[in-house]
Amino acid sequence: MINPFEAFKEYKYRKRALPLDDIVASKAMVVNKLMEGYQHLLDEEVKELVWLARENTIMRAYALAEEWTRGIDYDVEDIEEFCFELDRIRKAPYRIAGPGGLYLSALCNNVKDEEVVLRIGDMEGRIHLLGYRLPKGKRLIVEGDLGDFAGIGLEGGELIVRGKVGNATGAGMKAGRILVEGDAGHRTGEWMMGGEIRVEGTIASIGQVGFGRIFERGRQVYPPITRPRRI
Amino acid sequence: MLSQESFLRIWSSVRRKHLFPELPLPELVEGAGKVAMEIKSKRMRMDISFCERMAGRLPEEEVVEALMDHGVAHHTCCPWDFSTYLKLYAQAKKVLRDPKMARRAVGYFTDVVADTYCVRRGDTKLPQLYRHMERGEVEETLVSLYQEIWGMDLGASGHGDVVRRLSRIPYLDRKKWEENVRRFARAIKPLLEEAEDEENPMGEHGPSDFSSEEIGQGLRMLASQGLDSFREIVQDLGEELLAAGGMGRGRGNPVDVDVLFYMKLAEGYALPVQKVPMEKSGSLYPYSHSPWEVGKPIKDLDIWTSFGKLLPGVSQIWERREGEVFGSSEGTPDCIVVIDSSGSMTDPRKRLSYAVLGAACAADAYLRNGAQVAVYNFSDALRGGMEVLPFSSERGAIYRTICRYFGGGTALDLRALESLRTDDPDIFLITDMQITNLRKVVDYLKGVRSRVTVVHIGENRHVQEFKERTEESGHISIYPVERQEDIPKIVLGKVREYLR
Amino acid sequence: MSAEDGRRKFKEIYNFIGNHLYFNRPDVEVKGERYNSALLFGLLTCLVQGKELIVGEPGLGKTTSAEYVSSLFYRIPLGLIWGSEVAGHPEQTEEKIVGRPDLGKLNQGIESVVWSNFVQLPVKIVDEINRLPETKQSMILDGVDRGNWEYLNEILINEEFCLFATANYQDRGTNTIVAPLLDRFDVMVESKHPGPNLSFFIGYREDKDRVLRNPECERELQKVLADKRPYPEKLPEIESLCDRYGEYLKEELGVETPDRREREEMRSQVAGIPFDMDAEAFSRTMLAELSFCYQYGQKRSDERCDEGCHYTGYLCHNIQNCASNRLPASLQRYSKALAWFLGDERVDLEHVRTVFPYAMAHRVRWKESYSSKREKELREDPLPIYLAKKAVAEVFRRYSEQKEEIKNALALAFRIMEGEELEPALGDHPIYLEIRRDLGRRLRD
Repeated sequence: MINPFEAFKEYKYRKRALPLDDIVASKAMVVNKLMEGYQHLLDEEVKELVWLARENTIMRAYALAEEWTRGIDYDVEDIEEFCFELDRIRKAPYRIAGPGGLYLSALCNNVKDEEVVLRIGDMEGRIHLLGYRLPKGKRLIVEGDLGDFAGIGLEGGELIVRGKVGNATGAGMKAGRILVEGDAGHRTGEWMMGGEIRVEGTIASIGQVGFGRIFERGRQVYPPITRPRRI
Repeated sequence: MLSQESFLRIWSSVRRKHLFPELPLPELVEGAGKVAMEIKSKRMRMDISFCERMAGRLPEEEVVEALMDHGVAHHTCCPWDFSTYLKLYAQAKKVLRDPKMARRAVGYFTDVVADTYCVRRGDTKLPQLYRHMERGEVEETLVSLYQEIWGMDLGASGHGDVVRRLSRIPYLDRKKWEENVRRFARAIKPLLEEAEDEENPMGEHGPSDFSSEEIGQGLRMLASQGLDSFREIVQDLGEELLAAGGMGRGRGNPVDVDVLFYMKLAEGYALPVQKVPMEKSGSLYPYSHSPWEVGKPIKDLDIWTSFGKLLPGVSQIWERREGEVFGSSEGTPDCIVVIDSSGSMTDPRKRLSYAVLGAACAADAYLRNGAQVAVYNFSDALRGGMEVLPFSSERGAIYRTICRYFGGGTALDLRALESLRTDDPDIFLITDMQITNLRKVVDYLKGVRSRVTVVHIGENRHVQEFKERTEESGHISIYPVERQEDIPKIVLGKVREYLR
Repeated sequence: MSAEDGRRKFKEIYNFIGNHLYFNRPDVEVKGERYNSALLFGLLTCLVQGKELIVGEPGLGKTTSAEYVSSLFYRIPLGLIWGSEVAGHPEQTEEKIVGRPDLGKLNQGIESVVWSNFVQLPVKIVDEINRLPETKQSMILDGVDRGNWEYLNEILINEEFCLFATANYQDRGTNTIVAPLLDRFDVMVESKHPGPNLSFFIGYREDKDRVLRNPECERELQKVLADKRPYPEKLPEIESLCDRYGEYLKEELGVETPDRREREEMRSQVAGIPFDMDAEAFSRTMLAELSFCYQYGQKRSDERCDEGCHYTGYLCHNIQNCASNRLPASLQRYSKALAWFLGDERVDLEHVRTVFPYAMAHRVRWKESYSSKREKELREDPLPIYLAKKAVAEVFRRYSEQKEEIKNALALAFRIMEGEELEPALGDHPIYLEIRRDLGRRLRD
């Protein structure tokens, strides 16, 4: 092939590097690893572009997510960047809701920091199932809206959503606290086993709650408070 | 105080360092000393008091050099031009939702990119400047960021979480700027909220940094992205755009945002319309030879070059050409743009109206050729639903009249139209043909000597009727449009043919 | 023949014409020496076998300068050169320019071509080429480009050739030379008014045309040219008559001229001169500005870039068309020839800067808004050459200010193309984007 720059072969060139280059390169590598792990999860769990959120599929996908993310040295910012990376990719199966949320939950639950802040307010898509099995001692703060099943199966952690949430928030949660600054959808607290859900906006409807408490605009709505009848 | 000679020497070396961008000579001006510099129409203005105040900590030459580096890098690297600025602004606005905050975020982002660009090139006093500058909350964080990504001790600390987020953004990757500015805005948002009134000591950046031509181009780019985003951004930046003369009509002479949108969008379709400078006289004169072939007439045979022979390939005939004589028809006729704004047409202020765009493109094409344009905007004209603009070269007025929307019924007031006609101007009619007095209109158009271009939207029985009745008229051309989107294309193509 | 000998002869011809025949002021300076551009480029055209367009007011020696130069460089008596010129007018025919059928033979039913002096002699002069129809302009330029002339299936091959064409300033009344044909000229020069003093002096020297005449030689040469033998058979005879005229020039006028072998040696010496790195990088920088368009990818005659483009400060914003590949070819040939003439081992920036305006003046079409702005500026050259000189000076300034960076970018590009994992250099000038494109990067990210 012709090299039209042959005449400049002998010219000595200079290259200057900044720490920024190394930081960017190492961070890009981590996010790539996270994407690879997610790809593995999709390969194993999503067949023919279908994934159904059932108890067993959720548990299996989460277990796989933990497996694929083990050993990756990531931090809270990497998780946030991963969220936007997912949002940016338009093609299936990346757009299938569910596995993404579980994968992110696994990342949040296992990151070394106790507090995880995700500023995802300008994401175009919604993340479902985020906060799955958030353990005690972890605090996940989401600046933005979440999809369905936010805080599903919460295991003592604290999920704060500075936005609104979809349906079935806190479904099957065992312990811990969910605070939603916006509105919540239908069947909030479905199969809830314990803990507390506080919604500062309105709740469209409450699900079949086992145990635990639900507040709407500071007022306890479950279990309903029965005032003693004045005699 | 720095001598003019040293100032020029520094400028010359800074230009050399930055591969000599085409920028005007910077100025030193008296200011309040808080903000180091501002850029107006690409000219840097450095605050003398700031430089003098800094001089206690850093030689004044170095301060000026660092500021020049910073200003030049805004031109040579980021934001580079106004279109890029607008793109960055739109992204920051998506995250921050507040115009003022978005502007500040874009300003800081472009600062980080430009300064990092300078530091990567080496030989800049910017790190020294930042080390010694008084810093507010945001600036302190940015200097901490610089420490991190430039690998230098600049004596800053704090906001580790924000710095961590900021330091992983690939600032010098131009391809990712739009995504990067969003990440930047997200990370810096709490700080911007906290230090609401903090001024950027390196100067606020905005439309006024750019030349009015650049602003014009940026707005054209923005218009092509749709009415809503155009309206939003122009309203956000309105005052400054106006002050910078980017509203298309010179400084301090505002036009309505929607009209501006159509102006800029029509500019995007700008046509190179050629004038016709010559009129053929019709007489033929021998121009060059071509070989005679069997079957060709022999009346043009040149017996001299054929050597008296009639042989194919040897004998030659004269090719004749029409003589070209300068005539009086040079130029382009004026045009009356007749636009239907009845209820069946799109309201240009609600959605993008291709009829308005088509009319605007046509008007522009005539204006560019030095002709004047009159506008007759009608709905139910007989009941007063019309606006007439006599022949004018004033683009703003023409656009305002074209953009007017009446709604309601459709009828043409032919007397009003006739009153506009002088010297047989071209007539350009854009309508959906659902005109109640269509027959009269057809008779009228058949009777005029002007060239008439009719663009109609959709097919209906009125169109059929119009076509049938004007079939014989050579001066009326009708262009059907199946989809509204086709209008600008058709109009332009045909006007181009016309004017050639 | 050594390069030194060749240069001496070249210089002798230049001085002889300048001192005795074509009186004019120097208007171009190279390395501290001042030269007359019409004369210098005329001789360089003979040397590199190029094509030169000479413009100027009527009667200011456009044609005569070409005649003198070619008469001495090719050793052809002036009278014969006069007889071989093609005059431009609309009725000019191929038969007068190239050749005609042999009428005697044609009457006997035999096809044979009688070639014109114009095609037989190595040097071609076309007077007022702009008055020729485009087809004829094109025919001549084709012939000179290839060195081949065809008529009635016969072919004549010139081993040496060059073209001088003159044109009056184009006004709306005469035909023009269309842009694609203009592009085929290597250089354009103006034959200027010599000033009142020299002009008055020229009036005394009415006999100067006689100096290069040699009727005897002319008659004999004409006889050989008119001879109906095949052209290659006539060539040695033509050459020996030319050498005889060369001897005459040496003995009578004291001017030594090169013979054919020497001319060929000169040409091979010229061809062997390399460009230095700066000359090369500057030429590329200049070409980048003449062809680059950020908006449309490259310049195209029918597309106008927007106001307010980031590159408004560069030449690309002020020009309408795109530089063709012929421009660098002309630039290289003439720059090498100039370096050879000045005795330099390499083509350097100075040579390129001198040649560039003359190689681009006729090829660049400036936007009206730009040329009309500069039209009224104080100047000494016709507008196209003036604008070209300004443009070269402007780009030279830009180049000299950032030459290290540009060379660095080009060197980096070399390494990237050789497979090294590096990022192309960044910079404001269009050359950096063009380099990126060469490396497969996109113009706009």
